[in-house]
This record gives sequence, structure tokens and C-alpha cells, in this order.
Amino acid sequence: MKIRRIQDTLIRAFSALIVFALLLLGFLAYYYLHKILIQNAEETTMQLVSQLNRVIENYISYMDDIALMAVNNEDVRGFIGNRGADSPGLRAKIEKSFEAIRTVRRDIDSVFVITRDGRAIAATQGGGLNPTVALRERFAELSAGVVPDRPSVSSAHVENLVESRYPWVISLVRAVRAEPSGASMGLIQVDLNYEIIARLCRNIQLGKSGYVFILNHAGDIVYHPRQQLIYGNLKTELIPEILSLNGGNLSAVVDGRAILYTAVSSRETGWEVVAVSYLDELFSASREAEYYFIMLSLLVFMGAIGVAFLISFNISKPIESLRRSMQAVESGNFDIDITVNARNEIFQLARDCDIAVKKVRDLIEQNRREQELKRKLELRSLQAQINPHFLYNTLDSIIWMIELGESDRAIDMTSSLAKFFRIGISRGSETISVRTEIEYVQTYLEIQKQRYKDKLSYEIIFAPELSDHQILKLLIQPLVENAIYHGIKNMEGPGLIRITGSLDDGAIVIRIRDNGVGMRAEQLDALRDGLIEPNHANGVGVRNVQERIHVYFGLDYGVSFESTPGAGTVATIRIPVIAGDVM
Amino acid sequence: MRNRSVLLLLSAAILAAAGLTLLYRGNGLFSPGSESPRRVTVIFKTVDYETTPFWGNVRDGVFSAGKDLGIDVSIRGPAQESDIQGQIDIVRDAVREKPDAIVLAAADYNLLVPLAREIRRSGIPLVSIDSFINSDDADVRIGTDSYEGGQKCAAALMRYAHSGDTVAVMSYVKGSSTAIDRESGARDYLAGKVKLLETLYCNADADLAYSQAARLISHTPSLRGIVALNDPTARGAGRALAESGKQGTIALIGFDNSFLVLKYVERGVIRDTVVQKPFNMGYLGITAAQELIRRKRVPRFINTGSVDISRGNMFLPENQKLLFPVAEGP
Repeated sequence: MKIRRIQDTLIRAFSALIVFALLLLGFLAYYYLHKILIQNAEETTMQLVSQLNRVIENYISYMDDIALMAVNNEDVRGFIGNRGADSPGLRAKIEKSFEAIRTVRRDIDSVFVITRDGRAIAATQGGGLNPTVALRERFAELSAGVVPDRPSVSSAHVENLVESRYPWVISLVRAVRAEPSGASMGLIQVDLNYEIIARLCRNIQLGKSGYVFILNHAGDIVYHPRQQLIYGNLKTELIPEILSLNGGNLSAVVDGRAILYTAVSSRETGWEVVAVSYLDELFSASREAEYYFIMLSLLVFMGAIGVAFLISFNISKPIESLRRSMQAVESGNFDIDITVNARNEIFQLARDCDIAVKKVRDLIEQNRREQELKRKLELRSLQAQINPHFLYNTLDSIIWMIELGESDRAIDMTSSLAKFFRIGISRGSETISVRTEIEYVQTYLEIQKQRYKDKLSYEIIFAPELSDHQILKLLIQPLVENAIYHGIKNMEGPGLIRITGSLDDGAIVIRIRDNGVGMRAEQLDALRDGLIEPNHANGVGVRNVQERIHVYFGLDYGVSFESTPGAGTVATIRIPVIAGDVM
Repeated sequence: MRNRSVLLLLSAAILAAAGLTLLYRGNGLFSPGSESPRRVTVIFKTVDYETTPFWGNVRDGVFSAGKDLGIDVSIRGPAQESDIQGQIDIVRDAVREKPDAIVLAAADYNLLVPLAREIRRSGIPLVSIDSFINSDDADVRIGTDSYEGGQKCAAALMRYAHSGDTVAVMSYVKGSSTAIDRESGARDYLAGKVKLLETLYCNADADLAYSQAARLISHTPSLRGIVALNDPTARGAGRALAESGKQGTIALIGFDNSFLVLKYVERGVIRDTVVQKPFNMGYLGITAAQELIRRKRVPRFINTGSVDISRGNMFLPENQKLLFPVAEGP
């Protein structure tokens, strides 16, 4: 399993959470901000455009007032009705009243009266009528577009009725009808200075480069701030779409920029006042907000990571130091103090660990000391337990011999006994060579032979290569003693003890075989039990051997017995070769 | 190092912040004027807009584009169209200032060539408008196809004149490319159809054109047609013709659309005038300059086109807008 550090996990989780939250928030903020901006823009632009439309309608209706006034003016009607004969006085009177209007209203460029029969009066800046205009034809052209008793409003056009100028104007035309017949006898034309409309539209600020333009019902441009670009086909507007909109908002992409058209239709003029707002400008405030939002987000993000780092640092650092301490303990070093620089559960945990480790350390120490002591005591007591019977019996025999005057034999036996104890006791070392051990067993058997005479004979056959191996001392003698006391002593006829030694697969195997009375199954079991149970009455010496082997070499080695009643017993010692101990 | 991921994330965040600041500030969000605008120097044949309103209209186009594209445009030119040396000096000064691009209406077809070469050597993009130079040094040429314009004049004349009639061509500045092309367009069209008199040059001076035309009209009774190849020439010839009272017999075809020319058209003195689109020339000249500055591909030649205007069609809505350009206002 892959181990993840708490710090990484925390930072990952915090980053993901923060990024998700900020993205969501940012998206929502962006979405709603834009929605609101567009809504606001639509509303305010619509208000602006409606207002502009009303102002323009006011102008138009004012023009119509002038036209109506002229239509109903007796002098004008007289001039129109006065076929052919022009009275200079009347003409001057009309001109004068028109001039008065023009002086008051600078926005009125000119006022014209045109009659069916090709006469005209012009009140205009810079004087007279353009002599090259054919007035009858003009009357016919204009009349074609006029509905009786309704004003007709033209699109923006160049007025060529006046001499010496080509002003751009918007014309309003009303027909003057003859009383009885109702036929149109003359026309009143009022020209509104186009610049007035242009200025009204120009005054409307829509962002940095938004603007207002005006279309007539046919889709011709009445006013456009970039008129020349439009005429030069360098710029286009979505005129059919705007016309079909019939007032309202339209989003579009024109010349690579996202724009918002806001249009209002005028019933009076049949015009569409259209505002163009550039969305990118609309969103420039939102772009600033975006920038600050992103900056703030990044700051929050950094802060979150910092906090995650601090938190995880505070958690993981003590854990890490605890882990290192525990690793040291794992590798066997109990000799450390576990302390952690923290003020939380980890501190408690570390303190508990420290106590546990110290306890374990004390236990181990105690155990070691006890074991050592126990082993020493055991060895000492085991060795001390060796053959008190034998000594007792041997000394008894020696006394017997002396009493019988067999002083030579007594001497032999005493010196054998001395030799026996010299080997068994004098050497401090716990191991001796196989050769010495054999010598020792031989001495013992010689002493016993003194007692048992012909009833005991023995053979010792050891593989020669074994002679120099080291073995635990006094391993064979207790078993030989056991064979004599439990096998040979109670049998009839001569007894034979045969001791063999060999190497078997890295182990030294020594067999002590007697041809004595042997053991019944229950006796054998009792003996085997005696090997295990310390306080069993039987086989003190044998158990001694077994325990020493176990203490030295572990439970894989030891003594085992096989026996057949009436045929004898075999004791087998299995001990390992002590490495490097060959002399 | 165990803090690597933290450092990585933090430095990524800081980098992002820096990048975004650059991006936003670079776009001029906080300081709109931070990016200095491109400077384009525009050199006209003349800046006497009273005499030649044509150039006033080109100027409108130049300023309009400058405003649209955020380009700092400066317009220069000699007071008189015939002052070729004056224009050469102006161009030389302009090159020294190392603008981002130069838009030039060459006063002379040949004499401006060395300067154009110099402009090209200094690595400044060169846009040629209206009147071109006799070399490939301009990156783009924008203007009326003058040969076609000359042919339109001749074709208009032939609607009034008959074959075999005596016809004069009046040109303006002898070395100017537009004059050369208009003249050859007209002459090529008329050749073989009418009897062509030797071309007259008035140096774009209406007074000189007037006296030339007056002399021509009084000395050549058989004259049935005059093609006047630019605005001052047409005005001068128009005045002479009007004074002579022979507008019924001599058909005068003019060029461009100054107030006087249009008045003469209305009065039937000038029968037709071929009108160019000077606003477009100015506007497209600046657009092309910007494209060149941005190292984009631009066509070698943009024909802004011309329209034949007569008394009959001059007040049609589409022609009104061409003939009486509305100022864009402040």
C-alpha cells in the first residue's frame, strides 16, 4: 500500500476544495455580473434611446406645427391660390413671417412654399431659390409622397432648393388643398437642420465607442455618426435584423465585436432610433472586478495552502518524530526517551509509548539478569549433584578392601578415584575434549569394575576423528552409571557396557548400550518423564545431563532412551559439534 | 524536500498572479494610454482644403480611421499641389522622424521615387494613396484606378460628342501618376473616335486652367468637347465655358466634386463629373498602414472606385452621400 503523508493529503484536499469553491464562486459571480450588466445596459440604453426618440418626435411635431400654421395661414393660402399672378407684397409678407420663425428657431433650416404651377417662396439662410430646380417637377415628386392632412417626413437628404448651399436636412411636407375640390394646390416644406439630429445623437454616450444611429422605415440611414464609413461600405449594421426587431434588444457580433443593439420605433416619424453598445466596454468594469477576484482568489489559495501546511506540519511533525523513535525501538534500541513537541493527543500518545518502551526495557533487563543467574545456579548445582552415591559406594569399597587387607587394590581404587575427581572437578571449563571425557569414563568404569568384578565388562569405541572435539564434560558418566545401576546390577550373569561415538550429519552421537535387565514400557516412560520433570525421583544424573544439553544447545539436542525388557537399554546422546573447537 | 509541493503550488500561484496582472494591464485596463499609439505620417499632395476639398475628404477618412484604430496620425503636405520640391522636403523630414508607417500621395510620379526607396531602406512601411510612384517601393497602392477614371470621362464625353468632333484634354500636374493615367485612359478611349488636341497642363491651378480653357474655346471654334481631369482644372474650364456661353455646344466633363464643380453640373456647364471616393482612400490608407505595421499581408492594389455623376443622378440618395459628405462632428 502506498503511504501518503498527512501533509500531502491535507494540502491536496485544501487546494482542491479552495479551487473548486473559487471556481464555482467566480463562475457564478461572472455569470450574474454579466447578466446584471447586460440587463442594466439594456434598461438604461432603452431609456436613453426612448428619451432621444421623444426629443426627436418633439422636433418633428414642432416642425409639423410650423407646417400646419403655414397651411392654415391666409396669406399662404392666398399665395397658393393666386394662380399665375404673384403679388410682391404678399410674397414679402409671407417671407417675413417665415423668417421670423427661422430667427426664433435655429433648428429650422428653411421653410418653402411650392405651388402646383411652379411658384415658390423660400425662407432660408443665404437667400434665394436654386434657379436650376424645376419647381413643377419638384411639386409632383413631393406630392406623390404626401398623404392628405398628414405630414410626410423625409429621410436625411441634401436640400438643393436653396442656392449657394447644399445643406443636409430632414424635410416635413404638408399639402395645402383647395377649399372646394380638396385637390392639392401647394406644399409647405419645413427643413430641419440635420445637424440638430446629429448633435442629439452624438450627445449620447454609450461607453467608450458606443453610438446612436437612426433608420427610417425603409431601412435607409437617417443619421449615423460614421455616415461616410457606411456609405463607403467600410462599415455595416444589421439593418434588416434591426427593422424586423421592431423595437427591443438584439445581441450580435459585427466586425468582430460583440454588440448590443437597442432600438425604439417612432410612430410619428416611422424611424428607428438604434443604440449600439459594445459589450466589451460594458464589461470593462467587470474585467476589473475579474482581475481583483482572481487576485483575491490566488491570495486565498495561497493562504489556504499555508494554513494546510501549518496544520499538517503541526500534526505530522510530532507523528514523524514519534515514528522515528518507534523505528529506533523496532531496531532494538530501547534506550531512548520518547518526547514530542506537541500539545495534543499525540503528546499523550508519545508519553504512553515512552512509558511502554521503558517498561519493556526494564522487563528485558530483568529477564536477562534472571536468566543468567538461573543458568549459573543451575550449572553449579548440576555439577554439584554428581554422583554422591558413587562416591559413597566407592569409599565403602575402599574401606572393605582395607579391612580385607587388600591394600594394593585399595590403593588402585583410591588413585583411580582421585583421578576421577581430578578430571571431573579440577578443570574450571565446562567443556573438555572427547579424549579426556573417555578417559574419565574409563576411570569410572575401572573403579566400578573393582566392585563388580567379572559381572561388569565394557567396550569403548569412538571414531578417531572425534577425539579432539570438545564436548560438554561429564555427559557420558551419568549414563554409564545409570546403565550399571539399573541395567547390569540387577541382572544375572556378566554385563557388558558398550560405548560408541560417531559423527552424524554435523552432530556428535554417543550411544551407551547395556545388555542388562532392560525396562518395561512403564519404566521407560517414567525415565523419559524423569528427563522432563525436574523433581522426579528417578534419574537425577540423567536429568542433569539432559538439562545441561538443553541449556547449552537448546531443545533440538539431548538424551533419548530405547529399551527392551530382558535385552538391555540404549541411551543416545546427541549434541552439536562445537564450531571451531577442534583442538 | 517535503515542502516541495507547497513551494510548487505557491510559486505557481504567484506566477499566475504576475501573468494575469501583465495580461490585464497590458490590455490597458488600468492605464489606457500605457501602450504608446502607433504614429503614422500622412503626406498629401496639398493641404489647401479650400481649393481642393478632395483632400479635405481624404483627411476625414484618415482621421476617422486614426480614431477607430487608435493610431496617432499627422497630416502634412505642401500648400500647393504643384509644389513638388515642397513635398519632397516634407517627405524627407518625415522619414527622419521615423514614424511607424508613411502614407503618401505622391505629387510626382518619378521625382518621389528616390525618397520612396529611402523609406523602404529605413524599414518604414509605405502606403501609396491616390497618386502613385513609378516604382515598386510602396507596399500597397490605394486609390481610384485612374486609367479607368480617365476612360469614364471619355465615355461620358462621347455621350454628348459625335465622332470626328474636336476634343481637348486638360490635365493638371504633368508628372503626377493620376494625371498620367487619367490622361492615357481618356486619350486611349477617344483615340480614333474624335480629333484630339494636344493636352494642356494647368498645374492644378484653377486660374491657369480658366485662362487656358478660355483661350482654347475662343481659338478653336470647332471644339465640341473638353475633358478636365481634376477638380481645379474642371472649375477653371467650367468658369471659362460659362463665361463663353457655349455650354450648349461644348460638352465639358470634369473630375471630382467640389462645390463649384457641382454647381456647374447643376447648371449644365459641366455635363458629367467622375467622382472618386477620397474618404475611403484616407480610411483604407490608414487601415493598410496598420496592417503593414502588424506585418500582415495586404493586397498590392486596392481600387476605391469612381462614379460618373451628372445633373440627372446627382441627387439620388446614394450619390448625395458621396457628393456631399457629412462631417462626422467632434
